[in-house]
Amino acid sequence: MTIRNIDDVEFGAELPTFEPDTSLASVSQFADAVGWGAGARFKDHALARKEGLPGALVPGIMAMGFLTTMIHKWSPAAHVERIDTVFRAPLIADEPCVLTAVVTDVDTDTGVVELDVSVKNEALETRVFGTAKVRFR
Amino acid sequence: MLDVDELKARFLHLEFDSTNFVIDRDKALTVARMSGETRAELTDPSHPDFQASPAIIASLAAGRRLPIHFPELGGIPMDGGKAVTCLAAVKPGVPLNGRTHLHDIYAKSGRSGRMIFLVSRMEIRDAEGKHLATSDSHMVIRERPDA
Repeated sequence: MTIRNIDDVEFGAELPTFEPDTSLASVSQFADAVGWGAGARFKDHALARKEGLPGALVPGIMAMGFLTTMIHKWSPAAHVERIDTVFRAPLIADEPCVLTAVVTDVDTDTGVVELDVSVKNEALETRVFGTAKVRFR
Repeated sequence: MLDVDELKARFLHLEFDSTNFVIDRDKALTVARMSGETRAELTDPSHPDFQASPAIIASLAAGRRLPIHFPELGGIPMDGGKAVTCLAAVKPGVPLNGRTHLHDIYAKSGRSGRMIFLVSRMEIRDAEGKHLATSDSHMVIRERPDA
């Protein structure tokens, strides 16, 4: 169901899940674009492991980007006014992850919806979690 | 062990950095596309409301991470999270200014010692001084016992 306005939003509803592209090629381009591409951390699994990391990482702010995209896919009328993310544990490039969100508040007077959001890895371990405040226009 | 209340009294809300930025159009596009974004105002530079996504706003970094006289806490600072508040469209290609202050300081103690949490807040404005966005960075530092 397409969410066209706040009247379509139900308290407790789950957003359609989103499985983003976490490929190393994509992560590497993202890291270069935000100026974090100089080291191996986001670009090379073997070199990242030599630095003591479990592999090349997905930047936390890329997870923020995935979450914003999920909200935009859910509703073309949604404007992300605030997104707050906690980087709980590393998200590894080339490993699948799944994004989920649930509606925790709907205020039809102000047009604002609040969501709890999370990014989990293949083992369904939470890597990133947070909240989003979404305004409907 | 450092006194968190004293740190708050000395450093909370104290502006410690002012940095100018221009968000590159192509980099903004790459960040949006690699995030899987398809919304036209984030992926089409010809869209009349073309703007930067929250993720690239979160990447804007102050010239300093902490105020100049902030005490050494020991340990390796970790990126604990980011938050972005969008008040108005942040346009690529236009001059921006980010002013940064410490918005919160707090501690949590556990079996492995005390962790200090520092929240630095950057307020991003355009050349006319209009407040466009706020970016919070959460830094977590495991305190060295002798700090």
